[in-house]
Formats: sequence, structure tokens, C-alpha cells
Amino acid sequence: MDNLQYAELFLTESREHVSAVNQALLTLERDATAPTAAAAVGAIFRAVHTIKGMGATMGYAIVAELAHELETVLDRVRRGDLAIDAEVMDVLFRSADVLEQAVEAAVAGRDGEVLAADLVATLHALGLGERTSQRGGWTVPAPTGAGMLVRVRLAPDTPLRGVRAFIIVQSLAKLGQVTTTEPELDALQAEGFESDFALRLETSKPMADVEQIVRRAGDIADVQVGEDGAASAPRRSAAVVVEPMAESTVEVESRTRHVRIDVRRLDTLMNLVGELVIARGRLSQLAAELGDVSLDETVNASSRLITELRDEITASRMVPMAQIFDRFPRVVRDAARSVGKEIDFIVEGKGIELDRSMLDEIGDSIVHLLRNAVDHGIEAPDVRTAQGKPSAGKLVLSASRDRSAVVIRVTDDGRGINRRRVLERAKRDGLVEPTKTELTEDELLRLLARPGFSTAESVTQLSGRGVGIDAVYTRVRSLGGAMDIRSEPGEGTTMVLRLPLTLAIVRALLARVADDIYAIPLAHVSETVELEADAVRTVTGREVLLLRDEVLPLLRLRALVGLPDYVRRDEIELEHVIIIDTGDRRAGLIIDELTGQEEIVVKQYDGVRDGLPFFGGATLLGDGRPALIVDVSSLL
Amino acid sequence: MSQTVLICDDAIFMRTMVGDILTQAGFEIVGEAETGVQAVEKYHQLKPDLVTMDIVMPDMGGIDAVREICKVDPQARILMCSAMGQQALVVEAIQAGAKDFVVKPFQPSRVLEAVQRVLG
Repeated sequence: MDNLQYAELFLTESREHVSAVNQALLTLERDATAPTAAAAVGAIFRAVHTIKGMGATMGYAIVAELAHELETVLDRVRRGDLAIDAEVMDVLFRSADVLEQAVEAAVAGRDGEVLAADLVATLHALGLGERTSQRGGWTVPAPTGAGMLVRVRLAPDTPLRGVRAFIIVQSLAKLGQVTTTEPELDALQAEGFESDFALRLETSKPMADVEQIVRRAGDIADVQVGEDGAASAPRRSAAVVVEPMAESTVEVESRTRHVRIDVRRLDTLMNLVGELVIARGRLSQLAAELGDVSLDETVNASSRLITELRDEITASRMVPMAQIFDRFPRVVRDAARSVGKEIDFIVEGKGIELDRSMLDEIGDSIVHLLRNAVDHGIEAPDVRTAQGKPSAGKLVLSASRDRSAVVIRVTDDGRGINRRRVLERAKRDGLVEPTKTELTEDELLRLLARPGFSTAESVTQLSGRGVGIDAVYTRVRSLGGAMDIRSEPGEGTTMVLRLPLTLAIVRALLARVADDIYAIPLAHVSETVELEADAVRTVTGREVLLLRDEVLPLLRLRALVGLPDYVRRDEIELEHVIIIDTGDRRAGLIIDELTGQEEIVVKQYDGVRDGLPFFGGATLLGDGRPALIVDVSSLL
Repeated sequence: MSQTVLICDDAIFMRTMVGDILTQAGFEIVGEAETGVQAVEKYHQLKPDLVTMDIVMPDMGGIDAVREICKVDPQARILMCSAMGQQALVVEAIQAGAKDFVVKPFQPSRVLEAVQRVLG
């Protein structure tokens, strides 16, 4: 294995560990005194320790150094020497972020770009606290005089410490008057101090501002603003007492037998199986034509083996949603914090599995929807309280299986989409009739999914939602999925993504129109019926199909691909209707004839961009003929 | 739009190195100067977002150049590049109006941290 492969392993594994760190940090933040806190600290410690070991082996200095300092701090927390408070939490969250950046940058060979020195210094100071028993451990006496006391400790490897100290004094002088320093200014400039120095500042600014200014000056390990004993003591809050964990037993139980495989290798396997499936189709046809019994048996036996092989490989590509869902609590927390909202985030269905490449493709879109919900859907706490809602908004991300599809829902209990605004804008752009007074869910989605429509400022600010819905919609469609929006004013919004389980092989119904065969993925087919003339009606200029008690819109594939209408050769030869279905919407698709059902291998199809919009790809059939795959969701 | 930088140093090696670090971080190098006089001229001509300034240069040193630049533009964002043992000179440069400093040999992360402080 060459170094590059090691690097990739390092990257994947470190990402998982960072994700575990974030998970555990969130648990810790909820309640640092809870019994779960101890386990959380233990989990973080182990993950960081592993990253440190791997990073050092790979020679990634920044990763190793950062992990090392973080480990020291965590060890203190574990032993009960360092209490968890908001400040420590912030440092830990920041550490997780920078560690992740450092990991990515190291592997990409860009470690120069990671700005970790300040954080390393902060961690180092937190870690050192153990020897001085309390934070501080200042070596210089507090100078006497007027103004607030400011104590500063520089990071151990600060270059030109005298100059750094001078810059700090100078930047504080901008807030007021520095009345005295310890040691005196000349000695300070000449580096006449050990690790820390102190000064008094007469200013009208709050202490927090003063501390900020000092921290921004760079190379700072620790700052204290205010008199000794007063400043740092109240910062201490709940202490975590960590029981020594029976680590070995826990880990042995959960360790199943795994082998890491490069995803690209799985992709290749999947492609090969795809080719094999096509070849099998051809072979079955030839065998059927020859009518040789022993050949038939052999073909059938290999056919079953190929099916099993395909199922196994498909299964090996399936990964639980947890792989991306576990990142989201952190995303939501950060987004909520940045806009000052309170959010209860609930994740359901983490165990549902989806094809690896599908999962990779859809992650960004889910983040998009979550951010939208936080930003625009859920109201600010005071607004919610005024409306009689709980001050914390509820945001639910769920995954569930539905036939051969996975359904992902993002639901908030926020203000909902302002249809009036959307309608007004649509009228202004001439997208709907000026007389229209109401929008259905379908029309709403169609409008929001128009490129650029939803990003219009007037809509996003007032209606709340919409940024980039078009991007999500396009992505979901390109994956062969479908999307829906449900929104009630004042009650909230639900975004529904429906995705096929796997990208590569799907079961499809084959339909003939004139001389061509089209494939319709079975995931979107609910039934097929013959087209009886008396079941067709025309309602407001559009054809509909009466099916039992249902009235379904009718589409003619012939018309869609620009062919003349079907001409019956005799009385009994009826056209067929495929009832297509995306979970919430149904319609009838008229084709000439149903020719069969086959497993098809989806091939990327370059024509999609410029060609007819309702084809999602192409495939080769068992007899070697090409067929276009109908993108059902774009028809509905 | 990326932020613009004027690099002032009499050694090609140092100019190249600082240039590489900043270019990789997304800055645009709009000019270079080899002397203090050039630094002042080019500053007024290019109005860069950031100046990196060597302390020792021929034909007006870096500190005097800082003084000249800040006389006209007190908001100028200048980062001093110093060698070890020049603290007195760096203090003088800061008094003259420079915002921060880095010490040779340069570590990219240190340079970028200092740049962030100067621009922040």
C-alpha cells in the first residue's frame, strides 16, 4: 500500500472520529452533569487519541500537535480537574472544527493554510492549568493604581515577545488610558518578563470588550480582565466526574468484523455486475430461441447466481443514514446559534440504508433544507412566544423506507411559506394567470423550483423560505428521485425527498412506442391498465382517465416524444396505460404496448442536459438495443 | 474579489516566498518593491489592501517607508517582516503605524494569522 492509500484511510477514519467527537460534544453541551457526560468525554478522548496516533504516523504535524493538546485538556476533564463551562465548550467545539480542517488540509498537502497556532496555545493553557491547580497561576504581582486589572500570558513559542506585549499595550491604549504596567513598559518591550505581564487600564468599555481586544492581538495563551480571584472563579460551573470506564468490554462487543474497501472498487464491481446483468439478458434470450433444455437449465442457474451476486454487491454499497445524519445536529446547532434561534432538533431513521454514492450526492441538499428551516422557517424565540408557540422551534429530520425508495423528510413548525408573496411574484414574472388567487402544493413547488425564482430577495425575506430550492430539486431529480413541499401558514413546512435505493441497477417496465423501447422504473409504477375508450374524459381541455373512483391526468408518450397519434391496427389491440406514481402524485402514461420487465443498468446519458427533459438516463436491453429511461417525477 | 497585496523586500527569495504563501491563500499580489522609496510610490499608485514590509531595505528603510505611507494614509494596513533580534526596530515600526509583524524564517500559518489580524 503506498502513502496515498494510507492518506485516504487516514482521511476516512479521521472524518468518522471527528463526527463522533461532534456527537459527543453535543451530548456534553446538553448537560455536563448528566451520567452520560462521562461516557461522552471518554468517547471524545478516545477519538482524539486515535487521530493523534494516526496523524503522527503520517507525519501531519499540525494534526498531531492539535490532537495532543486537546487530549491533555480532555484528560484533565476526565480526571475532574477541569470543569466544563460555556467557555470550555466553545474551545472544544472550535477544536473539533480546526481538527477537521487540519485533517483535510494535511491530506491535501495544504497544511500551511490551517490557522491553528492560537487554538493550540489556548488548549495548551487549559491543559497547563492542572499544575497551577487553578486557572491563572500568574507570576507577576498585580500593579497598583487606577483602572481595571488586565493580565496576559503569551503563548510559549511567541516570537519577539516584547513586541507582541507592546502591540497589546498599544491596542488597549486605544480603549482608554494604560496607567501602569508590570513590568514597566521599557522592560516589557525588552522582553523583561517570564510568561505573563499585567497592566491597568482606565476605560469605560466593558470587560468583555477588553478581553476581546487582547485575544485578537495574537499569540495569546490566557487573559484575565478584572481583579484576581473575581474574574476566573465564576466561570467554573458543573463539573464532570468521570468514572473509569470499562472500555475494553464495551469495545469488544461492538466490534464486528470489517474490512475497509475503497468506494471506487465497489463502483467498479457494481459496473461489472451491471454488464453481467445485461449479458445475462442477452444469454437468456438466445437460450430461449435455441430451445435447448440443458442450455436453458445452465442459463437459469447462472442467472440466479448473478441475481444473488448483484444483491450482495448492492447490499455492500448500502450505508446507514447515520453516516451523514450524525453531522447534522452540529450543523443545526451552529446555524441556530448564528441567527439566535432555539431549536429542538430530532433525527429519526438513522439506521435506514441507502446506496453510498446516493448518500454522498444528497448530503448537501439535506444541509440546504435544514439551514433553510433554521434561517427562514423557524421564527425567532420572541416571535414564537408571542404567537403562543413554544420558544424553541421543532425541526425533525427523518428517513424511512417506502417500497424500493427511501423517503427523507425535513419538517419544521415555523411560519410556513407565504403563498401570497410567492403568488404575487409569480404574477409579476408572468408565470401564472393574473386572475389566479390560490396556489396548490404542486404549483408552489414548481414555482420555487424555478431557477432563480426563489432566490429573489422579496420572497425570501418575507415569505421566509426558498433559497436554493431549485438546486435541491434539480439534484433530487438527477438522482431519479422526486420532491414535494407541504406548507401551512403559521404551522410549518415539510420538504419530502424521495430517492431510489441505488443509482446503478433498477427494475423497470419496458414499454414500446412506435419502434422504440422506453424503460419506466418500477419504483414509480403502481399498476398498468388497458386503455378503454370510455374511461377517457376531457376536463377543461385536458385528457383524464377514470380509474375506479379516481380521476387521473393522462399523458401520451407519443405526444411527448413528438410522434403522431397511435393508429390501431385492429379492434382488439388496445393501447396501455401505466399508472405512474411518486408517492403523492399519480398520472396515467399512455404507451403503445408493454413488452416486459427487466433489470436495467442505468447509464449516464449526456442528452439530458439539452434533450427532452423527461428522460433521466439510458440503458442497454438484453437484446442489445438501447432504451431511454423515463424520469417519472419530471412528468408529474 | 480577492484582496490585493504589495510586497516590499530587497531579496527576491523573500518576495517569492511571501508571494507564494499569500497567493495560495487567495490574495492577489499587485506589486513588488525593492526599496523603501519604491514601496511608498507603489503604495500610493496601487492602493493595496495589505503591505508586507521588510525592515532593512536600501534607499529608505522599511520603518521610514511605513512613516511616509501612514503620513498620507493612517489606515494603511502594513505587516512588518523582521528577522530575529530586531525587536527594537519592530517596536519602532509599530509606533510608526505598522499593524503587526512576522519573524523570519516564515511559517505559512504564522504569516496568515498575522495577515488576518492586520486585515481584521
